[in-house]
Amino acid sequence: MKELALQIGKPTPLTAIVSVPETIDPNKPAVLILNSGIMHHIGTCRLSVKIARRLAASGVLCIRFDLSGIGDSPPRTGSSSFHESAIQEITEVMNYLENKRGIQRFIVYGLCSGADAAYDIALEDNRVIAIAQIDPYCYRTLGWYVRHYGPKIFKLSNWLSSFKARFLSSTSRQKFSESVDAENLIMPSYIREFPPKQEIEAGIKKLIERQVSILNLFTNGQSYILNHASQFKKTFPNISFGDRLTVDYQERMDHIITHPEMQAYAVDLVCDWVLSRAT
Amino acid sequence: MTPFFFGNSAEPLYGVYHPPTSARKTEGVLLCPPFGQEYMRSHRAFRQLAYLLNKLGYPVLRFDYKGTGDSFGNPDDTSIENWIDNIVSASEELIASSNVESISLIGLRLGGLLATYACTRLDNAKTLVLWDSVVSGNCYISELKDQIAASSEHDSNFVDESGNLHFNGFPILKKHIEALEHLDLLSLTPNAKRVIQITSSENTFQTELKEHWNSLPNATYQCVPAPGDWNYVDDFGGILLPQQVIQAIVECFSQAEGDK
Repeated sequence: MKELALQIGKPTPLTAIVSVPETIDPNKPAVLILNSGIMHHIGTCRLSVKIARRLAASGVLCIRFDLSGIGDSPPRTGSSSFHESAIQEITEVMNYLENKRGIQRFIVYGLCSGADAAYDIALEDNRVIAIAQIDPYCYRTLGWYVRHYGPKIFKLSNWLSSFKARFLSSTSRQKFSESVDAENLIMPSYIREFPPKQEIEAGIKKLIERQVSILNLFTNGQSYILNHASQFKKTFPNISFGDRLTVDYQERMDHIITHPEMQAYAVDLVCDWVLSRAT
Repeated sequence: MTPFFFGNSAEPLYGVYHPPTSARKTEGVLLCPPFGQEYMRSHRAFRQLAYLLNKLGYPVLRFDYKGTGDSFGNPDDTSIENWIDNIVSASEELIASSNVESISLIGLRLGGLLATYACTRLDNAKTLVLWDSVVSGNCYISELKDQIAASSEHDSNFVDESGNLHFNGFPILKKHIEALEHLDLLSLTPNAKRVIQITSSENTFQTELKEHWNSLPNATYQCVPAPGDWNYVDDFGGILLPQQVIQAIVECFSQAEGDK
């Protein structure tokens, strides 16, 4: 395994690190590793580096890169929204790998905003055959309320704190706000927006019908909205997932995965799952 | 900015070179990062600092220590001595790649401590800026242990049975802790033509260092009130961009130009 630093795209290139396996098989899908929020391409607690190197050592080419304006990629001019520019830039990276390495299938991994972008690009581009997401979009179900309030229902203090939790969940949205030249000097803002459930349901249905495999790992950091593994399927009872969906929920895992055992767990889970699809 | 790998090809270091955007100076600036979540949190600030120094004509290099960021290896493979060596290698790389005659180093937190030691091995260090610098390895480890003790709700912050310290998602191994115990700015005379200690908040350790270096003709001290909670970590891994300190550092380099 070796790593190369690349700049992809003109005139304002994206910075990327490619983890190249000893033998490149263009028939195997490559893995794209996306930014988490405004964290640069090494990922939270260096998780993206660990995943990329593990997968490359197992024969899968991985690329981790910064979207424009994030990490080591300079800002680009234009009026595109973050959503639009992210799709455009991820597509650019896939085009690059297709043109340079002949790779035509991709697995996209992301955490938080990276998970959202993985979902978005999978909807847009048929070359994406699988997405591995940590803390993707999800929605509360009756089961969530039972588990959340059931043990606490008789405690007054918990009734009071629930107001705070509801307030936080409704305001915990993600959005990138950047002007271009000034972008080098400002603090990027970060608000996450969950689209309406019906919209996501239609999107996931489309992906499953296209036989896109999905890994969803949920952390306790998103337990304000999902608090057990089976909740995700129950959220979308009209979708026949078959064996295309894998869901995991780890109560000890925080959103940026700081615990060393949880880091190892996440790397194992993502890599094993990707390798099972990267054939 | 240009990303690249440099140094020993078997153990390459990752760097990002920022070329000057105005008339090129004969002095390059090397940015020495902190460790762990502090490194994550300061990445944007370093990029911005590089951008502003480029506008003054300084070529700038950011880089990752061995076993951190995008550089080769894992914490197990590294030593504190490696990281000091890495600063020396990165300085040589910057001099060679940008054709400058001298070098200045800016070290944040642990990067300040390491940069000061690396300077003792450099012949051409012009300015050494210590930004919220760790004053000694012992102070640093004590600070982290105090925070571990105070963060009982977070079981990801702990000292394991082997004596390795886990803090905000990054390990500091026992061998690193033992090596850090030997590093102390109070026992060192910095080897640079100009030494600038900048702190975002007064504290005992910064004051002690200021008084210790007070007799040095080339050392200055500035307290620039600004956010400096490098070790804080929120649910989303938020960043810290203390504009006041960044501007103060840039001003130091701007003044140096005016002094010529």
